[in-house]
Amino acid sequence: MKSRPKLLWLQGVTCNGNTHSFLNYPHLSYILETFEFLYHPLLPATYTLEEIASCTQQCDILIFEGAYDPRMMRAGARMETLVQHYGSSATTIIAAGSCASFGGMFKQSDPEYITGLGFDREIAKGPFAKSPKLINLSGCPIHPEWLGYTLRMIADNKVILIDEMHRPKELYAYLAHHGCTRNEYFEWKVDADQFGTKEGCLFYKQGCRGPMTHASCNKILWNDVSSKTRTGSPCFGCTEPDFPRTNMFETKTNMSIPQDVPLGISKRSYLTLTGIAKSFRIPRLEKRLIDDNT
Amino acid sequence: MTIRKWIERIEGEASVQFEFEKNHVSFATIAFPHSRGMEAILQSKPAMDALVITPRVCGICGHSHLFAAVRAIESVYANCGAPVEISQKAESIRELTLTLELIQNHLKWLYLVIYPELSHLLQEKIADSCRLKGAYAASLATKILAIFAGQWPHSSYMIPGGVTCDPTHVDSIRAEGLLDELIRWFEKELIGITLDEYSHFSSDKAFLTVTGDMEKIEKMLKKAKMHEQGFSYDRYLAMGEHAFSKSSKWVNRRMAKVHSKFVTLEEPYSIGEKTYAKNALYQHNSFETGPLARAMIKGVPFIKQMYRQYQDSTYTRVMARSYEAALLLEHCKKLLHSINLEEPSYIKPLKKITALSGEGIGIVEAPRGSLIHSVILKNGIIDHYRLITPTQWNLSCGSPKTPGPAQKAMIGADSIETATFTFRSFDVCSVCTTH
Ligand code: SF4
Ligand code: SF4
Repeated sequence: MKSRPKLLWLQGVTCNGNTHSFLNYPHLSYILETFEFLYHPLLPATYTLEEIASCTQQCDILIFEGAYDPRMMRAGARMETLVQHYGSSATTIIAAGSCASFGGMFKQSDPEYITGLGFDREIAKGPFAKSPKLINLSGCPIHPEWLGYTLRMIADNKVILIDEMHRPKELYAYLAHHGCTRNEYFEWKVDADQFGTKEGCLFYKQGCRGPMTHASCNKILWNDVSSKTRTGSPCFGCTEPDFPRTNMFETKTNMSIPQDVPLGISKRSYLTLTGIAKSFRIPRLEKRLIDDNT
Repeated sequence: MTIRKWIERIEGEASVQFEFEKNHVSFATIAFPHSRGMEAILQSKPAMDALVITPRVCGICGHSHLFAAVRAIESVYANCGAPVEISQKAESIRELTLTLELIQNHLKWLYLVIYPELSHLLQEKIADSCRLKGAYAASLATKILAIFAGQWPHSSYMIPGGVTCDPTHVDSIRAEGLLDELIRWFEKELIGITLDEYSHFSSDKAFLTVTGDMEKIEKMLKKAKMHEQGFSYDRYLAMGEHAFSKSSKWVNRRMAKVHSKFVTLEEPYSIGEKTYAKNALYQHNSFETGPLARAMIKGVPFIKQMYRQYQDSTYTRVMARSYEAALLLEHCKKLLHSINLEEPSYIKPLKKITALSGEGIGIVEAPRGSLIHSVILKNGIIDHYRLITPTQWNLSCGSPKTPGPAQKAMIGADSIETATFTFRSFDVCSVCTTH
């Protein structure tokens, strides 16, 4: 058998959510056949963590889950050493999830020392800052299909285009807003006046970050079936460097105008359009989708 | 002689130091070297943010944390004289998605931990593809969960007053279809008989009809003599109130009421090794929590029968968790049928959350046992948050005089390997233990 690319899955400061999210990937057997897992926290792998910690192996792809704390010890080895050792031999370094990409949730554990692999929030910092090898697959957790895509692109020797935050464009050029079932309510500025309904847009009151968040959650559905906004939860912007924000179930407004407007749209154009859209009353969109329409 | 070992594949690692006397484990200490300070992260955040932050305590049981957090906040409402009204529909959907999280957990544990560890212990090889079966079945469970919760892991769809989703029959029918598929998988791969027959077992003789992987696993457990070791305190605790579990304790073969005021956290015993896990005790005593405890308290006939023969051995503990998956599948089926989609998903609490000051406690049964969130809010801001996770009960590290449940269960093992297997029979989760 041709020798397979060697893959190492290493964990920093994490909840293991990316590991478990990836276990939902429908084509895991393809991944196990195509790559040799030197180590993985749950899947069959060649070495134990202790063996990995001795830094005698080399990997082709390093997948790193969790925030980076250089001082952290893993099975007796310092994280800084582990990451330097495996990162230098790897041709691709994948930051799996928002903690590994930007620091994410667990940067808050110790903000002074903890960062992502190549970014500290949006600033380039960390052991692989500005490294062309670094691919950020942000998201809290990582979407299994996004990692599956990246690994298959690598296996097929295809070029992965990345944005300025090192995220693959084919995944992150979209916004979480794209494909949301509430888009028409957004267009006509009809808000969901409360939680628990399939009608209305969550942008105005419930804190939805969909139009400001690079993510394809409403295109490549979660667990193949749904997404936050489809089930009435606001997007929390979990793929962005500023995740987690505070007051995540509420839209910040100034004089009842949302503080942040959709990405790349000037506040003026947004407000002009809103003014026009709001001047119409559209009974169909004000009624319940199913119950009231007779 | 003392031997230190890193135990991994437990949602992180633990360092266990085994003491041997006459070739048997005489004592063991358990240390968890990492902590993320979740409680500190929660400090000073708006209450609702706990619904986003606490699921990140744990990648495998985050949904249980979400449920505990929402119950804790709702209990603050109640304690402030403004109880939150919740529809039966929202209650059922919450219970359904929690149950599905338990199922995915148990199936992953069985196929990715127990089965391979047994094969390692007995030197009987199993195919890698076999482990993937567990991931496949778990992904079916999380798919159903995501129909209601949007995604798994890390959904935040439970909010004070109900749930955010507003499913139609298209959704519930899809969920039923997927659940059927999962049950068919369970019957074909795991048990070889129908779920209905299996979940109504009343004696362990009935187990003779089981084929599939469960038959192999059971045989391997016996072959590894797991029915003759791993005995712990024979004291059980389940504190979360659910249709599938009763809040109670079981001591000296007697059931008794429980109250959260008797739960204390104590410093772990350590022999010069840093550990971040605090011991959870009830009336200053160690209790086992989790599927075996739930089965003992609820009185699951098949497990009680097994218990009569093999007490709280590692065998019984493993069987109880595996068997619970079957009972929970049945439970899911009933829940899905019972949900009345006409009811509201969400009933807006009368009081604004920013006007809320007071204490609250939320308790749920997570995959590994009783999970407790307590919170103090001041004007809707978190002033104090305390998490007590199931593994803090089971994996607590006491002194040689007062070992925790897993420590006690490992005493007497004839090798590090068998002791480690017993350790794993508690379904250890490192990230939850220290959080
Ligand atoms: S709910 Fe969010 S993602 Fe959906 S349309 Fe509104 S703003 Fe966009
Ligand atoms: S919808 Fe938003 S918060 Fe949810 S997973 Fe996608 S990017 Fe993250």
